[in-house]
Amino acid sequence: MEAFQYLMDGFAICFQWQYLLFTILGCLVGTIIGVLPGVGPAAGTAMLLPLTFGMSPIASIIMLSAIYYGAMYGGTITSVLVNVPGEAASAITCLDGYAMAKKGRGGSALAIAAIGSFVGGNVATFGLVLLALPLTHFALKFGPPEFFSLMLVGLALAVSLASKSIVRALIAAVIGLLLAMVGIDPVMGAPRFTFGAASLLNGIGIVPIAMGLFGIGELLLTAEGSKSAVINTRLREMWPSWEEFKRSFWPIIRGTGIGFFMGLIPGVGVLVPTFISYAVEKRISKTPEKFGTGMIEGVAAPETANNAYCNAAMIPLFTLGIPGSAVIAIIMGAFMMNGLIPGPFLFKEHPDIAWAVIASFYVGNLILLVMNLPMIPLWVSFLRIPIPILYTLILGFCVIGSYCAENSTFEVGLTLVFGLLGYAFKKLDIPLAPIILTVILGPLMERALRQSLEMSRGDFTILFTRPISAALLGLAVVFVITSLMKMTSQVKEDQEV
Amino acid sequence: MPTMRRPYQLTALVLFALSVFVAYESLRLKYYTSLGPGPGFFPLWLSLCLAILSIAMFSQAVSGKSDPRPEDFIDSRLGYLRALAICVAWTWAAAMLERLGYRLTMLVFFPFLLLTLGRVRWYTIVLVTILGSIVTFYVFSIQLSAPLPVGPLDWVFEIIDDLLY
Repeated sequence: MEAFQYLMDGFAICFQWQYLLFTILGCLVGTIIGVLPGVGPAAGTAMLLPLTFGMSPIASIIMLSAIYYGAMYGGTITSVLVNVPGEAASAITCLDGYAMAKKGRGGSALAIAAIGSFVGGNVATFGLVLLALPLTHFALKFGPPEFFSLMLVGLALAVSLASKSIVRALIAAVIGLLLAMVGIDPVMGAPRFTFGAASLLNGIGIVPIAMGLFGIGELLLTAEGSKSAVINTRLREMWPSWEEFKRSFWPIIRGTGIGFFMGLIPGVGVLVPTFISYAVEKRISKTPEKFGTGMIEGVAAPETANNAYCNAAMIPLFTLGIPGSAVIAIIMGAFMMNGLIPGPFLFKEHPDIAWAVIASFYVGNLILLVMNLPMIPLWVSFLRIPIPILYTLILGFCVIGSYCAENSTFEVGLTLVFGLLGYAFKKLDIPLAPIILTVILGPLMERALRQSLEMSRGDFTILFTRPISAALLGLAVVFVITSLMKMTSQVKEDQEV
Repeated sequence: MPTMRRPYQLTALVLFALSVFVAYESLRLKYYTSLGPGPGFFPLWLSLCLAILSIAMFSQAVSGKSDPRPEDFIDSRLGYLRALAICVAWTWAAAMLERLGYRLTMLVFFPFLLLTLGRVRWYTIVLVTILGSIVTFYVFSIQLSAPLPVGPLDWVFEIIDDLLY
């Protein structure tokens, strides 16, 4: 009951006109980002991060979260109508969504996707409300050793699930940790890897790294192979038939469950729940051969799972301070830029902010449902903007964003450096998500480890002798070993072939 | 069929060199103090991890079966030129923002990108350039209080500002 009282207080804050406006604005901008191919939620959130600089902490986090789930919904529109996924999570929706659109049922595919997203998002947020306080109370018992081990678990999961190759994922994680080392040492105050540059004393900001890796890197790749989208689908009927509603009911329920549980595991990534939910629907269907020809179940389940995942992924962030994906890490960066650290202390020290943001998830989901369906023709019109104009405007905005981060052209130059790094890593199939996760978690991990060692006077066994810490470390080791075993067996299979 | 063997070998070598450099820099910092681990503790272990991982990557590339090289790994010349144009425009912005001010820098940035990224009509170029440089400056600097840099030639724009407002 205590949680619901707090939630009501959160609603009272987020219904204030300025926060409502930021939620609407975030949903609008997020949907546009989702619609535009080549600008995924991570790139979009990173590029728009500077827009929130002058805002209050509540406004900035509400807006970034709205951009995130707006982008997830926007990606569906282009998947269904143009057969081009606006973001990776909607790739599977292309199969049946576009087939439905070709049959003149694109409108109902989008409506079912919106309803499924609404249900999935709200159920996952309800899960957050239920789990927030118990998990927070549990996490408050954690000392520095437990926090270090917990972050290691998050990192191990993120790394083991992030890529086809655990070596490449680990390389990305180590590079992120090394980037986090730049600047003043958090305990002794000694400068590290600054090479005499005053601009590096405060460390490398989250904006150049996130905007460079995800934004500029992605733009460089898409500009290199730039293709313009062709819109050849028309919307006829927007409202699904009763039969389509009935057929979507259970896929929405199953998609919610799959998305929710996958969202609780850091590092799973949004692709996994969408593909699993699609596969489940296909397997239990009486007509699996019809999947790919315009089955409403093939739209309802993955779209629901996608939004349930996004909202559930906020649970590890809010309760334990563990970001599970690149976008969540960027949102965590926004928290930290506002002087807040997500995790158990957020609910203790800033309950107003935590609950207002949680309440805004409900409001945002409702706004997306009500606002988006009538505006679909407008969203699609963004695809008609010629690529050179679109990219030029995005790049211009990125220049402003990277400059405003610290009011320095050094950050602008640094953004390009990370853009080139992101471009190279994408070509080499080195995952970018572990970099941003470790950049965010690195300083926290280092501080927790060094505080632990101070507590034990340099004795590393403190990490193994405390039960919770030992259990968490064991879990991290299990994750790494299982993914190493998986990789080794794959190499053996390849050699046999 | 071309594979990713050579790109991964080269990447592993670069990463190994980076790990050696980080280890060298870390050794110049205090490894351990009376309070516990010093500023060099974490980076030194990380450099060791990076060295091991780069060796693993290299040996995988040499001994294991390499992934096939994706079709778009090497793109067309035109594609590279477009990517290069973005880098040139960005470098120009980074170098000139504080010297020339936002408006003058972006008066070059926008038309350059529009001309190099594809075919755009001249009036669109003019419109996007004015929108992206002058109108955006007004919105960010005056409406959103996000100060964008002003250069020595901005007095020209100030005359226009005075006439308009």
